[in-house]
Amino acid sequence: MTEAVIVGARPMPKRRRRRLTAGIASQYLALVVTVALTVFPLVWLFLTSIRSSADIFSVPVHIIPETATLTQYVAVFAQYDTMGYVWNTVIVSVATVILVHLLAIPCAYALSRFRIPGAMLIFGLLLIMRMIPVIALAIPLFAVFAALGLLDTVWALILSHTAAKLPVAIWLLLGFIQDVPKEIEEAAQSDGAGTVRTLVQIVAPLIAPGIGASAVITFLFTWNDLLLALTLTSSKAAQTLPVGLTNFVSQYGIDWGAMSAAGVLMVIPTLVFVWFAQGLLVKGLTTGAVRG
Amino acid sequence: MAPAAQAPVLGRRRRSPLPYTWQRGYLLASPALLVMLAILIYPLGYSFIMSFFRWDLSGSAPFIGTGNYTDELFGRQFNQALRNQTIFSVVSITIEVVAGMAIALLVNGKLRGMRLARTLLLVPPMIAPAVVGLNFRWLFNTQYGLVDALLRMFNLPDIPWLNHPAWALVSVIIADVWQNTPLMVLLFLAGLQSLPQEPLEAATVDGATPWQRFWHIVLPLMRPVIMIALMLRIIDTFRTFDVVWLMTQGGPGGATNLLTVYSYLLAFQAVDFGHAAAVSYIALGMSLFVLGLLYGVPWLVAKRRAI
Repeated sequence: MTEAVIVGARPMPKRRRRRLTAGIASQYLALVVTVALTVFPLVWLFLTSIRSSADIFSVPVHIIPETATLTQYVAVFAQYDTMGYVWNTVIVSVATVILVHLLAIPCAYALSRFRIPGAMLIFGLLLIMRMIPVIALAIPLFAVFAALGLLDTVWALILSHTAAKLPVAIWLLLGFIQDVPKEIEEAAQSDGAGTVRTLVQIVAPLIAPGIGASAVITFLFTWNDLLLALTLTSSKAAQTLPVGLTNFVSQYGIDWGAMSAAGVLMVIPTLVFVWFAQGLLVKGLTTGAVRG
Repeated sequence: MAPAAQAPVLGRRRRSPLPYTWQRGYLLASPALLVMLAILIYPLGYSFIMSFFRWDLSGSAPFIGTGNYTDELFGRQFNQALRNQTIFSVVSITIEVVAGMAIALLVNGKLRGMRLARTLLLVPPMIAPAVVGLNFRWLFNTQYGLVDALLRMFNLPDIPWLNHPAWALVSVIIADVWQNTPLMVLLFLAGLQSLPQEPLEAATVDGATPWQRFWHIVLPLMRPVIMIALMLRIIDTFRTFDVVWLMTQGGPGGATNLLTVYSYLLAFQAVDFGHAAAVSYIALGMSLFVLGLLYGVPWLVAKRRAI
């Protein structure tokens, strides 16, 4: 059987290599075009952020900046006081990641290991929650947080993001917990470990890649969110960076240089995670989808 | 063997602490379930009920039945938003899925530089849609923007991207395609890499052309992944807000109002929460309906074939 395949396949690579030189060239061309289209808009954002304002508003457009300058980045912090937005965004994103996982890990563990009556109902609700348009949530949350006096605080954002990100995190973690062999937990329990200790000391380390994947996804989606921050906050006390971006638009026009510099700053966490935690990101984005 | 020897010990221990009881399960799950109940389900239920009232935060909220819904369903602005939403969803999802599959097949190859290409493709889906919106707004600027500058360089006529209703919708679609096609590539790539190799090798041995292999073997095997990708994009296009808000705020003249943008404007500019909530529920209903069609129609066809 294996021999037949090898015999049948052996002439193929040779023939293919010779015939496909043109094919490989066109594949490279397609690859270069794809990568260029993917990267270029971001390169342009970066180039805009290091131009002088005179260079930004020049006609005809200079593709290569005349001079490289940091004035736009200085303006982002000196003129627009962006540090406050950065802190709010960091606080909201980090607190959300921590809260989501403190809640989601035990919940996913319970849903995959314990025979809970109504588990199917909970699964169904998790899926429907994933579909809800954020605006459907933002409208009543505005009313609820207004009644509680929490509008325009980071707490409103932390609480609403925690709830909104929970269904996806639980769903992701479920897949990873189901891959842990039950025997390991049973061995731990037969040694006298309680449920909580089994979860913390045995299960959590085994699903560390899953926790990492869902933490990265939760962090970036919280970091990037505009709609909840736009509806639930109204001042610098709690506004986040995506809302801050809209402040570069004034009655006199748009400060494109500073806005681009702020945009570049917003993209940094994504670039860091893509570079250092690529595996986790891919896992987080594809796990649910490919397994079904 | 060892496990058999351990089994009785397990059984004895299990009686006293009862590890997998449903009470303990609920105890572990309850914090998360309570948070979702309080901050997701309760507000959603509240706004669903309030969508049958005149709800403008003025204090008095009389019950008006399905008034908000009928106002919107027969209103001009809602129908404009619905039309925009339909064009936006159909066009961008079609391009994203077709281009995503083509690029996935391309980067699934073993050329040099593929790893770097795959890494770079991760960036667009993970950056803030707000940044994507502002960046494309700048690229499409008619005075200082790069795209029109390039058109001029090749002596082509300028395009009034964001100033013209139809072109503005095209611009928003381009931004969405740029951001989300790579996501489709990632999903399809993961699908391609978990395909069974035997049918493909057998087909190659039998002399199938690459196109035949793709059409008759890869595509049918990829069906579940494609369905999930479609589902994700349908859900997300019905929630699209950030890109549009930074690019056009729904303008010019409502030409890029998608359902979510329209609902936001109703709530936070017109302070008409009742109509806004009704629109958000219509949007949810429509995405559920489309998903129902997506999964229901193939099921019905398969059922008919079976008979």
